[in-house]
Amino acid sequence: MQRKTLRRWNNALHRDLGYLFFGMTLIYAISGIVLNHFKSGDFAHPDYSKSYWEFKVSPPVEGKTDQAYIDKVLAEADEKGHYKSHILSGGTLKVFLTTGSLSVNLKDGSTFQEKRQSRYIIKEFNLLHYNNFKKLYTWYSDIYAIALILLAITGLFILRGKNGILSRGAWLTAIGIIIPALFLLLYM
Amino acid sequence: MFRKLLPLFSLGLIILASCNQGSKTPAVAAAEDTAKLTVASFDTSAYRYVDKPVLIEGTVLHTCKHSGKRMFLVDGTDSIRVEVTTGSDIVKFDETLVGSRVRVLGILKEERIDEKYLSEWENEIKKPKENHEAGVHTGAIGHEDQTSQDKLNQINELRADIKKSGKDHLSFYSIETIRFEELK
Repeated sequence: MQRKTLRRWNNALHRDLGYLFFGMTLIYAISGIVLNHFKSGDFAHPDYSKSYWEFKVSPPVEGKTDQAYIDKVLAEADEKGHYKSHILSGGTLKVFLTTGSLSVNLKDGSTFQEKRQSRYIIKEFNLLHYNNFKKLYTWYSDIYAIALILLAITGLFILRGKNGILSRGAWLTAIGIIIPALFLLLYM
Repeated sequence: MFRKLLPLFSLGLIILASCNQGSKTPAVAAAEDTAKLTVASFDTSAYRYVDKPVLIEGTVLHTCKHSGKRMFLVDGTDSIRVEVTTGSDIVKFDETLVGSRVRVLGILKEERIDEKYLSEWENEIKKPKENHEAGVHTGAIGHEDQTSQDKLNQINELRADIKKSGKDHLSFYSIETIRFEELK
């Protein structure tokens, strides 16, 4: 096969794989940023953004934690209507809410509240990134991974001349390989 | 016209999928001979049902934030926590389940922790890149944010527990889910 024909096939493959896997690339890239920051401790949860408050509520009279006391805590926390259930954990009353939870210290009433808000769409992207579905999706994501390899290889041969793989492209490709190698050397 | 609307249609499909989550919880029914366990008696009775189907009800205390593959059930207090893992048909245990009452049908599994297991875990922790999957998941508050030193302390406590037990291992029991439902 002639060089020109080879390059035409190369470019066509790069173009079509690029179109086909545009969606998957966005899904993995966006979810990848979130999971990256979750792993490095910047986010408490990959699927939910969380906020925290500390305040005081009235401690229970004689340590009695009945439903009336819980209703009072909910009213003081302005969370009436969000109650799900509660448990006792040592000297702490843990109240589960549809929006998060309240942890009340039964001795002094100091309360820690966690509020949760769904990261819509990103939550679904994370499901795909983690391959929670398994089954057929495992195969589809394998195909995507192979397509990424092909996209990378075909990408090297799109241009000729001073911006091609034999001049500027060679330098940039080498730098792109050296950077992760340096991280490996630095942290391993 | 259709070509122009296609990307918008695709985005709409993803949004629709995201809004549709969590509504599929089929009722859990078990065969007559399936053992019905309680959270309170789990620690003392689990050993009798290893690799057998069991049914259990409890309040979800915690779901694993890393992949949603685990949740822990309690009942009234958190002194006893039952570990429940996703089976092959469960996508994940979402955090919105925390605080909900659930009924789980699953297979009771035993994990034996012996000196070999602890040594391998210890080596894993001492590597620079820590592996979250290694080790024993207890469901205790903050267990997912343990430092390497916390984990090494946990290993030493487990070694002491093995010594105290008079056996060469400790048994940890969990339930691998076949089906589960959120009780309203």
